[in-house]
Amino acid sequence: MGGNAALVHVLGFGFLIGYVSTNLMNIASRSQSNMSGYAAATESHNLAVTGANVALARLYSDTSWRGTVTQTLTSPFTGMFTYSVATLPGGAPFLRCVSKVHGPDETLRDTVEVRFNTNLLQSFTLYAWMTNFEGNVFWITGDTVWGRVHSNGNLHMSGSPVFMEKVTTAKGLDPKWGKGVNNAIFKEGVETGVAEIQFPDDLSIVFGAAASGGRQYAGNIEVRLYPGTSGNNDGYALVYSGGSVIDSVSMYDASFNGVLASTGTIGVSGTLDGKLSIASATNIEVRDDILYSDRSTTTSDDVLGLIAETDIVVADNVPNRTDCRVDASIFTREGSFRAENYNTGSPRGTLQVLGSIVQDERGTVGTFNTGTNTLRTGYYKAYRYDLRLANAGFRPPYYPGFYTKSFAIASWWESIHVPKFY
Amino acid sequence: MSSLLDYLGSLIFGGAMLLITLNANDNAAENLSVYNGDMLVQEMLVQTVHLLEGEFRNMGLGVPESDPSVIAADTSAITFLYDIDRNGTPDNVRYRLGEPAELPGTKNDLDRPLYRSVNGGSSSCIGVVTAFRLRYLTRGGETLLAPVDASRLSEIHSVEITVEVQNPYAIQGRAEQSGGRDALYSSSLWQQTRLASQNSRR
Repeated sequence: MGGNAALVHVLGFGFLIGYVSTNLMNIASRSQSNMSGYAAATESHNLAVTGANVALARLYSDTSWRGTVTQTLTSPFTGMFTYSVATLPGGAPFLRCVSKVHGPDETLRDTVEVRFNTNLLQSFTLYAWMTNFEGNVFWITGDTVWGRVHSNGNLHMSGSPVFMEKVTTAKGLDPKWGKGVNNAIFKEGVETGVAEIQFPDDLSIVFGAAASGGRQYAGNIEVRLYPGTSGNNDGYALVYSGGSVIDSVSMYDASFNGVLASTGTIGVSGTLDGKLSIASATNIEVRDDILYSDRSTTTSDDVLGLIAETDIVVADNVPNRTDCRVDASIFTREGSFRAENYNTGSPRGTLQVLGSIVQDERGTVGTFNTGTNTLRTGYYKAYRYDLRLANAGFRPPYYPGFYTKSFAIASWWESIHVPKFY
Repeated sequence: MSSLLDYLGSLIFGGAMLLITLNANDNAAENLSVYNGDMLVQEMLVQTVHLLEGEFRNMGLGVPESDPSVIAADTSAITFLYDIDRNGTPDNVRYRLGEPAELPGTKNDLDRPLYRSVNGGSSSCIGVVTAFRLRYLTRGGETLLAPVDASRLSEIHSVEITVEVQNPYAIQGRAEQSGGRDALYSSSLWQQTRLASQNSRR
């Protein structure tokens, strides 16, 4: 009897241990399966992204390539991906990559789809400095540029000017870097022979905006900017013609699209609290300091565009004879940003620009004594790029832009593993 | 006499074996419970992060390049745009962490619901988590102070996401009081340190 009891006991004990062990193994197995399932899902997703990047590399090396390729990974990797590039109606390419990975419970597939813009509109404000033609003006020792620089012509160097961001030119450097007097310092490199950036054929976009939702005037006018109260975006502009106020424009007027334009010369001065573009079919004159109400380049939302068909000129007048400060993005389609009578009279101090300067031909703002580099007439330059403008979404209203043929990515879609909800 | 000793010996030995078996059963049941809890925690975490990862990676899909993808960004809530059904119209997706009081039934007082809503519709709970933290970084790697100021939303380039899920029940034998701060819970932590949508790299 005792022997039978012991046998029953041992069998029962064995059964119990076996049952518990099975459960523990099941749980361990499910836990393992859960995590390896996540790992497989991640692997599948990464494989799809990898395939899309492979396809992108192939497309960018030959933008006319179209086709389908399947690639199976070899040990130690597993899985496969198939990428294809086709042409959509309209001519833009369309890329799709599908991955396939064997997970612990099922076969996983992930998809990445990429669409492209073949014509990408960029704002000129992305450049701290840009010219169509540099003329015979040199970058010299003491010049420092924060922000990207580009010229469609040759960049002339003498000494050690410093460029804090990348410099590009459609032509070259004169003289070549390291030769003669060119010891320029390019902190983020320089690239020569890049594609030209085309200036717009006209300023119809900004003038169209002035006619529809903005303010449009005829003849010569003067715009004086006032910051309003200490509140934000409550500035206003008084518009003068022949010495009389002809209009008042509130920056906080919801019906105003932020563009003010005239067919004649526009004189500008004052302090801006808001967002504004001032456009002239001829010239713009800076008649005194033009400042943002909030001059912080991180927190301010004030932004001004000065856009001229021909020149933007720092007037040679009493207020501007002891320094001049301009907070604005400057664009001249067929002219220059320059100082009036830059080569006569006494030195006028420093011309400070906080923003971006884009001009057809590089203008002159002063002359220097050769050898000593001391100012003889006009202004010293202190141009600082407004870092807010590096953000493509931040620019003056209807500011001019340029198109690039870049096959830039317009959208990138990745499939999602839909979870089970509780 | 000899038989009596046999019976007594068997009784003592059998009783000892029974006690050992019961003790082993208790330990096995406790371990089973802990492992089972760990597994549930892992499953809850994986299901939650599948959705998070997928949607965050598509952030900005269908949004014009000149517009910001992120509408509002805080440490435990985010609202962003992406075209969910790819019909050409970006949808407004919001994730937010609820309050512990919204889960009165849980034994873990750190448990909070994680809600998701689309286009301002009703919120659906997509998981129960104990931590949901978001950190926002610019293209240059600068951490933006949350809540991110509206003027800097367009600078958000990547998001660091941290999710932690804990077992609603404290581990047996280690909790002084279930739900108390000194109770010990099994947990799983997931962190995506630099999740950047390709759409924000344009």
